[in-house]
This record gives sequence, structure tokens and C-alpha cells, in this order.
Amino acid sequence: MPQRRHLVASAIVVLLLALLALLPLAGSRYAVDLATEVLIYALFALSLNVIIGFTGNISFGHAAYFAIGGYACAILLTTYNWPLLFALPAAVVLAGLVAAVVGYFCVRLTQIYFAMLTLAFAMLVWGVAFKWKAVTGGDDGFTGIKLPAMLAHYIGFFYFTLAVVSVGTAALWVICHSAFGLTLVAVRENAVRAGFIGVDTRRMRWAAFTVAGTFGGLAGALFGMYHRGMYIENAFWTESANVLIMVLLGGIYSFVGPIFGAAALHLLQTFTNQYTPYWPTVLGLILLVIVMVLPEGLIGLAARLKARRGKP
Amino acid sequence: MSVTEWRVPSHEIASMTLTMFTLNAFYGLALAMNMFIIASGLNLIFGVLRVINFAHGMFYMFGAYITFTVAKSWGAPFFVGVLAAAAALGLIAFAIERLLLRHLYDKEHLMQLLFTFALVLLMSDAAKMIWGTDQYSVGYPPGMGGAIDLGFVVLPQYQLFLCAIGPLIAVAMWLLVDRTRWGRVVRAATQDREMLAALGVNVPMVYAAVFTIGSALAGVGGALAAPRIALVPGMDATIINECFIIVIIGGLGNMWGSFLGALAFGFVVQFGTVLAPNWQDVLPYLLMLVVLLIRPWGLLGRPEAGH
Amino acid sequence: MKYSVMLAAVGVFAAGAAVAQQPIRIGVLYPLTGGGAVYGVPAMAGHQLAVEELNAKGGILGRKIESIERDDKLNPASASSTMKELITKDKVDIVLGGLASSVGLAMSEVSKQEKVVYISTIPKSIQITTDKLHKYVFRTSANTDQEGDTMAMLAGKNKLSKICHLELDYAYGNDLEVGILKALPKYAPDAKIVLTLKPKLGATDFNPFIPQVMAAGCDGVLSGLWGPHFVSWVKQAAPLGFFNKIKWISGGEIGSHEIAGELKGEYPDNVISNAYELWYHGNDPSHAAFQARLAKKLNTQETPQWAALGYIGVMYAAAAMEKAKSTDPDKVAEALEGLSIGTPVGKLTIDAKTHQANIGQFWGPMVKKPDRAYRIMEPAEYIQPK
Repeated sequence: MPQRRHLVASAIVVLLLALLALLPLAGSRYAVDLATEVLIYALFALSLNVIIGFTGNISFGHAAYFAIGGYACAILLTTYNWPLLFALPAAVVLAGLVAAVVGYFCVRLTQIYFAMLTLAFAMLVWGVAFKWKAVTGGDDGFTGIKLPAMLAHYIGFFYFTLAVVSVGTAALWVICHSAFGLTLVAVRENAVRAGFIGVDTRRMRWAAFTVAGTFGGLAGALFGMYHRGMYIENAFWTESANVLIMVLLGGIYSFVGPIFGAAALHLLQTFTNQYTPYWPTVLGLILLVIVMVLPEGLIGLAARLKARRGKP
Repeated sequence: MSVTEWRVPSHEIASMTLTMFTLNAFYGLALAMNMFIIASGLNLIFGVLRVINFAHGMFYMFGAYITFTVAKSWGAPFFVGVLAAAAALGLIAFAIERLLLRHLYDKEHLMQLLFTFALVLLMSDAAKMIWGTDQYSVGYPPGMGGAIDLGFVVLPQYQLFLCAIGPLIAVAMWLLVDRTRWGRVVRAATQDREMLAALGVNVPMVYAAVFTIGSALAGVGGALAAPRIALVPGMDATIINECFIIVIIGGLGNMWGSFLGALAFGFVVQFGTVLAPNWQDVLPYLLMLVVLLIRPWGLLGRPEAGH
Repeated sequence: MKYSVMLAAVGVFAAGAAVAQQPIRIGVLYPLTGGGAVYGVPAMAGHQLAVEELNAKGGILGRKIESIERDDKLNPASASSTMKELITKDKVDIVLGGLASSVGLAMSEVSKQEKVVYISTIPKSIQITTDKLHKYVFRTSANTDQEGDTMAMLAGKNKLSKICHLELDYAYGNDLEVGILKALPKYAPDAKIVLTLKPKLGATDFNPFIPQVMAAGCDGVLSGLWGPHFVSWVKQAAPLGFFNKIKWISGGEIGSHEIAGELKGEYPDNVISNAYELWYHGNDPSHAAFQARLAKKLNTQETPQWAALGYIGVMYAAAAMEKAKSTDPDKVAEALEGLSIGTPVGKLTIDAKTHQANIGQFWGPMVKKPDRAYRIMEPAEYIQPK
């Protein structure tokens, strides 16, 4: 039975990827740009859910790794003229290393204390980006990022993003469905019992934190390149809150939930702004309805529809 | 008001003279007390309902704006404005809790966070529709717009008043929570909600009352802050983080912890900004970092059961 | 055969007519929510007024103008996405607006990549017209060097000898500081800066700084504290008698009635400041008519200064397209270089090299008047950069 489910899921993923890959043929530059943005946010949200969905702790500071990845990649490409082939991995590794250091301290705490400690560290990262003006450009932002000619065109960048996000998502899927991922779920469900059977819960959560930071950094690097700029606002707590909302909106108990959440929230934010300067009201009402009606997030809706269909 | 003499010798700016120390300590205290009023409401709500209320800062902003309308536009005395802010926020919060929030207690815990985020969006636009985007200011209440000369230091009257009102609210809350039957019920609700319900206590009404009182405190905090700051859209944004920091470093659900947390916050921000102005943007976060690394459950908090 | 030729001809005609009727699209971004809305909303009103007026006169190049307005959310990345959307989806011919320096720079970056003209109407960051200058970016607001120059001049004029320097610790404040320090030796060679303090952006609590300034014994403060920062400073410092002895020379546009009218009796003595536009005083014959129209649109006699900036941006866009006889970005950019137009604050010229308009500001002391509910700037001198 699980085999069949996996088969169906894989088929859907392949179909989605194929559809996305065909998107530039539709001829709308706007649609391609929007899809690029959604893909980047999807990876960002997925990475955060490794902490939330798989360890049961929420992070208020995930923007830190996003920003570190983004700034590092931008600075290596532009200030130091590194080729992308080196700059991107270096940026991702740096984000992962910082996540490992921060995570070491954070995983000693749980629940809201954990969340607030991640926030504190993230605001320090923001402070560094703000004050280290010579390197990061401070609050003017780091603009004018140099890209390889191949990525300078929007279609090239779209395919690059699609490829990177696909590989990143696949890697996260493998990690989350490995023995490691299953152990994480056990930790989330009952840390005490997991401890009894010999699981080093703290170490598991530390690893999850590092994984999340690493892939968050990857998303950040893509983000900076896409915008040709990194800004301190992207390290601020509001960015962390934004991605947290994406994850919650999508649903935390499903691997793909955050992808839907990211797409839904980003598209809602974009479209409501086109429609009215009172976009917060529209967005707020939509979120309110979702919260009141779909307590498990968007993915809960899918499950509910499926359950209804299953009934006679 | 005739305080034109400046009592601080000019050659001793950098060094902390007694005068400077006293001034900074006093200002730190005034800030702490204003923050405590707001944070104590957040602490109460989180302690009992376990809801991370992102909208608490919005309640604070509404408190300040309502005071502006009542005290400045309508010309009522300032303290009528403060009471109006408390009443209005209590009412808004009660309605929100009864109509919407109570349906979420049994659902996925984190969805409450999403809910309060939606509240922030809706209330920010509501404020824009009601008050526009102009900036406002509220005058000091009569007799509080000047300063008192203590000989070696000159202290502004209104901030002295803030220093007095903070402890008053702390004691009032302590009496309410620690010395009344209702308070015992509230404390029990933080421990075991099901057991309480089984004992025949109307738990939903306890929750509604707690949410109402906590939010009214945010309104009072905003009202009391109004005379000393500019009222602008977006004034809710940083206050919510600062309140969470205070509650967390004090120890969650512990009222005196929040009091202590507010004091730590006030002094660290005041002295830190004077001594290390380059760090002023991150001072509250540094404080929280240090406290949590040393005492993972806050200054007066206790480890949660099961962890 | 004939039939198909006719069809083709009809098609060509229809296409031609469609082009003639197709509106000129102007994209504009200002912060409309959150902390920036105080400035963005009035600027947008001025923008709309200019578009309405132009359309009433038949638009630009005989084509109607369609204004596509968006919230920049005071966030550079969000502004960058939205500006791209305006260009790729809405096919705008030009983009205006911005408020924060970082948003201005982000929009300038998009303008460079997409080769679409961007007129920065409020951001003051000097970088926009220096290090990061490119063919398609122009500025119709003041910049920090100009503002710093005027403030240094005023410091000299008011014979300040011991100066306390107060700036907000972010791009605008730091840039303004550089601008002032550059110009100070020229105007006030004997003046000494005895203390420099930088409260954070968004600060509401100035208690850590007020005693330091009072203790420093300066006779004047040069400050870039704007809007709510100034109001909070006044609220906390005035009870101590702060403003009794100190001259406060400010580049933060706190000479506007928006601030004076809010503080009313609490607005302190000894303040010399600036404003882009004053509803009660003009330097150009066209100002009164502009102000009357704006008053009608906003339904208040006391119109906000920021509207003029939104208004001037549109006027420049229109004038450049008329001059270029085209909406082609390259031609419009060329037309903007050296372009002079009449505005409600007088004749302005965009420098061909720096792409910076020589917009000035009104500067003067804020004085009490028996017939006014709040202080006004008098005499208000319009100071324009050379």
C-alpha cells in the first residue's frame, strides 16, 4: 500500500515538474518570474519545516540562514568575482555552519524558549548585516549582484532555480524519509520515550536544525541572485515570521504542505497588492477563513477532500 | 515649569557621574514600568491560554490611538482616555475570544499563531481606515508636563508617574491572581484545564476573562505611552518582540518574573544605549540570549513538565 | 483575394487605432501600509492629482495616462518584485516613487536590468545619483549632500560654535552626516562638533541621549531626526527645558505643518527646519492654484508636503515623454537629461550628468502667530542647490 502511495506521489511530482518546465513556452515573462519567486519561497518553507514538522519546535529566526546564504553568495559573486560554481556551495556551507553553531545552543531548549532563542540569534545576524556596511552595504542593501551570462536571462534563471529547488527538495525528501527523519518524528511525538529507546534527542534536533539552515541558505542564495540584491529586511524577524506563516498555512505534518503554503501566501500577497491598497484586509480575511475552516492548513483540505471521496 | 538650569556638568559626559547614573537608572525604570504593563498582559494570556498573540502589539497601538481620540479629539481628560482605551480593548478582545479564538483551542496549536497574524493584518488596516495615516501626539495630563528638580538631578514628572503606576499594577495583579478565588482558578487553568472543567469550573469563561484582561492591559500600556511618544502607523511592530523578550527572560507565566524581566529590559536598554550605542538595535535580543543560555527557563521560570 | 487584402487592411487600421488609443502606463510605488504610509499615502495623492490633471488636458502625446499604483511595503525585495511585475505584466512605460533609500536603490537596480526609466521621487540616498548611477535612473527629490550643505550654511548663519550632531543610525542619517561634515568647514570654519549621537531608526525612547546632549554644553543641534522621531524627542526633552537654550537645526522636514499642527502648543522654540512644500506659502505663481486643487482633492485646506513630490515626479515623466515624442525608455532618458520644467515650487532642472534635479526646500524658523493654531515657518526661504 505505501508503495502505491509513493508511486502516485512520484507521478504527481514528475507531472508538476514537467508542467513547470514547460511554463516558459506560454510566453509570459511575468508568469515565469512569479514561478521563480514561488519556487524559492517553497524551498525556504520546506527547509523551515524540517525543524517545525519533524521536531515539533517552531523557529522565529529562520530568516538568518536565508540571509546568510543570500549575502554570502552575493558578496562572493560580486565583490570577490568567484564563479557561481564555487560561490553557491560556499554560501550554502556557510549558512549550514552558522546554523550548526546556533543550533548547538538552541536545541538545549524547547518550545517557546527555543523559538525565542532562535529569534535572538537571528536578530544578531540582522545586526551584523546592518552594521557591517563595508561588506554588506548596510541598510542600503547589497545591489548590483553579478550573474553568469547564462543566468542573466529570466528563462535561464528560471530553469536554474527549478533545477536547484528540485534537487534541494529531493534531498530534503530523502533526508526526511530516511531512518533519520523517522527518528525525528519519534522525537517529536514523544521525546521521553524516544530517549528511553536510546535516541539522543538533542543531537537529532541539532542535526535537523543544521539541515534546515543549510537549505534555507540555498533558498536565500537563489533569492539574492533573482533580485540582484540582498537587503537587511530579508534577515529581519518579519521575514522569519513570513516563512513561518507559509509553513503553518500549508500544514506542518506533511512533507509537501509548506510548498503549497509558500505558493498560496506569496501569490495571495502579490495578487492582493494588485487589487487594493487595503490588501492586508483581504489577506487577513482569507487567512482567517483558512484558520477557522482548515485547522490543519491547506494540506488538511486535500486530506479532507480525499476522505469525503472515499465515503460511499 | 521653570527648569532651565541643567544640572549635569559638561566635562563629565562620558564618565558616569552620580547625576548621570541616577538619571539613567530613573529612565530605565520608567521604560521598564511602561513595558511591564504591556508585557504583563501578554504574560497572563500566554500563561493561561498558551496562545502566542502576535496581535498584542496591535492592541497596544489601538490603546494609544483611542486615547488620542478621546483625550485630544473629544477633549476629555487624559485619564478618561486611558480608561476608555482599557474598556475598548477589553471589549474588542472579549468579542474576538468569544466569536473566533475559542474555536481554536482544541485544534492544531500552531494555527492560533496564524490566527493572531490575521488579526494583525486586519487591525492594521482598521486603524488606517479609522485614523488615516497621519501621525498624532497626545498632550501630557495637566501638571505632568514639567520636571521636578531634586537638587542634583532633574526628573520629568510624567515618567515619575509611570514609575509609580507600574508597581501598582503589579501589586493589583498579584492580589487578583494570588489572593482571590478567581485567581486560584486561573492558576489552576495553567496547570490542568481538563481537571478544572471536571471540577465544574466554567473554563471557557475563565479563558475569555483572561484574554480580556490581558488585552486591556495592552490598551492601558499604549494609552500611558501615548503622551511621551509619537503615534504612527507601525508603532505596534517592535513592541510585540520586546514584550515577548520581557516575558521570556522573566519566566513564562510568572507575573513577578515579567516584572523582573521588564526591569532587566529597561536598565539594559537605557544603560546599554548610553554606553554602547552601536549595539542599541540588538540590545534586547542580546539580553534574552544571555539569560536563556544561563537560565533556559527564564529568571523565575520553572522547567515545563515532561522536558 | 480581394477579400483577404481588405481584411488585412482592416486589421492594420484596427491595430493603428489601438496603438493611438492605448494609454500611457505609469507605474508607481509608495509605502501605503505600515510605518511608511505617513509619507507614502500623501505622495500617492499628489501623484494621482497630477495624473488627473494631465488626463483632463488630454494626457501625454494625445494618449490617456493610466496610473498603476502599488504598495512597496517599505521592503526593497518586495518593491523589486512589484516593479518587475509592473514592467513585465502591466507593461508600464516608466516607474516612479519609492521612499526608503534601500527601496530606491532596489528599484534603481530593476530599472537598470529592465532598461525602464525610474524617477526616484522621495529617496535621498546619495548613492542613487553617484556610485549606483546609470542611464535610466533620475531623482526629483533632494539628496543628502544638498541637505547637508544647507544645514551647514544655517549653522554658520546662526553662528553656532559648539555643535551637537544628532542623526538616526541608518543610511539617511549617516549620509546626511557626511554631507554636513563636507560643507561645515566652508560655512562655519570655527564651529566645533562636541558630540555626535545616533539613535536607532524607529526609536521611541530618547532618554539615553537627551541628558548627554544637555550635558555637552552645545549651543546648537544639527539633526536629521524626522517625523515621529522628532516628536518623541520633543515629548521627552521639552519637560527638562531642553529647547530653552539650544537652537535645533533640522533637515528632517519637521518644518511642515504635519508636525507643527500635531504638536501645536508643544512645538518647541528655537527650531529651524525645512519642508518641501508649505500649504500657506509659495515661491512660484503656480503654487496657489496647485495647492487649491490639492486641497479640493484631499478635502482639507492644510495639504501635506509630500504630495508635491509625487506630483513633480509625474510632471517630469510627462514632460520628458512630450519632449522625446515617444515613450521609448532610451529616448525618455535622453529627454530627461538637462530637462527644465515649471513646478509648484518653481522651475527645476535635472542635471544631465548626475541625473539629479535641483529641487530645493523651504527653510526657516518655526514661529508662533496669534492668528494660527500652530507654528508656521516664517520667513520661509526657498533654498535651491546651485
